[in-house]
Amino acid sequence: MIRYPLAAAVLAAGVGFNVLAGPLPGQVDFGKFTPPGDGGQFVEVQVNSNLLSLAAQVVEKQQPDAAKLLRSVQLVHVNVVGLTDGNRAELEKRVRQIRHDLDAQGWDHNVSVQEKDGQDVGIYTKTRGGEALAGLAITVIQPREQVVLINIVGDIRPEQVAALGDKLDIKPLKDVGAALKKAAPKAPDSKETVPEN
Amino acid sequence: MNPSALPPVTHRPTRRLWLWALLLTPLLLLVALGAGVASCFHLGSDARALRNGLMKSSSAEWRHKITLNANYFTLGAVRAGLSCVKLDPGARAALQSVQSAGVGVYQLPSGTPQPDRATMLDAADSAMTGCGWERVVGVMDGKDLVAIYVPGKNVSVHSLKCCVMVFNGKEMVLVSARGNPEPLVTCALKQPGFRDQARWLAQR
Repeated sequence: MIRYPLAAAVLAAGVGFNVLAGPLPGQVDFGKFTPPGDGGQFVEVQVNSNLLSLAAQVVEKQQPDAAKLLRSVQLVHVNVVGLTDGNRAELEKRVRQIRHDLDAQGWDHNVSVQEKDGQDVGIYTKTRGGEALAGLAITVIQPREQVVLINIVGDIRPEQVAALGDKLDIKPLKDVGAALKKAAPKAPDSKETVPEN
Repeated sequence: MNPSALPPVTHRPTRRLWLWALLLTPLLLLVALGAGVASCFHLGSDARALRNGLMKSSSAEWRHKITLNANYFTLGAVRAGLSCVKLDPGARAALQSVQSAGVGVYQLPSGTPQPDRATMLDAADSAMTGCGWERVVGVMDGKDLVAIYVPGKNVSVHSLKCCVMVFNGKEMVLVSARGNPEPLVTCALKQPGFRDQARWLAQR
């Protein structure tokens, strides 16, 4: 006999939600990578919302803008796999497949750069509503060196990234913010403001 | 009824208790002290699980070099002892941040074949996942292997636990620590060169 039916129901509902909980809206499953042999480079970073919110708490007093930005991010996932003769073909094929899947899943392909040295960069975004990004995916193939895959998931407001870049005077952050502003479509009712001179 | 016929009231059981307490207290204190001293040379259970998983996966005979563990009381005593000493603000912040820490250093005997790092990382992941931890960072480069783990749940800023493993092909270092990173981060953010360092990091 269940003595605490309400507690049991809440517990069951919690378990149910956990089972049903799928990947986050802007999350990309890059799959599992095998580290290359011969001492090749392999980096895997996965920071989830628990740690990000903790980091936000830590910097809250000193850098409230940074804390706000950290709170808006739910997941940061980075994979760097060194290319060797043994894995080059397979990894390049896999990155192209990831790009194809992103296109098929309706991600916006915002930036595509193919340089003379063969470096191939693709930046994809998935929008949330009209003013924020649910996810950002960056794929880089450096033919003689490595493959880099980055996925940032959350409720990323481009103006927050740009404001933080401005405040800390970090040019790459400003550039990313500006690029994200361009990438994020405007809400139907939003109006672009023109500064008065 | 004559009241003088009642048996006299004695306090013998109470006296015995006091006697036992007096005899046992130093003994218990001695045992606690012994356990405290012994704990200074043993890693915590999670770090031990990580170490055992790694050693098993590498199929090598590791040589134990040193294990040191400073618990909350030890570090509290150090903090209290150094409270009157003039310290570098960074060092003081670090001391305030760390609540407990343990380090173990193990060495591969010369001539031992190099263990496969991917297998080691897999074994470390299995061991730590079993204890409710998850890997935040994993790096393999050349002979080096680095893995950082944090608890999967109940992460608190006031008591953040983390476990770090570094292997350079010869030596394996395991560090487990619990602390509050806030004083250290506040100190870092107040450093005059922080903005330049942040800019440099962002450019990297």
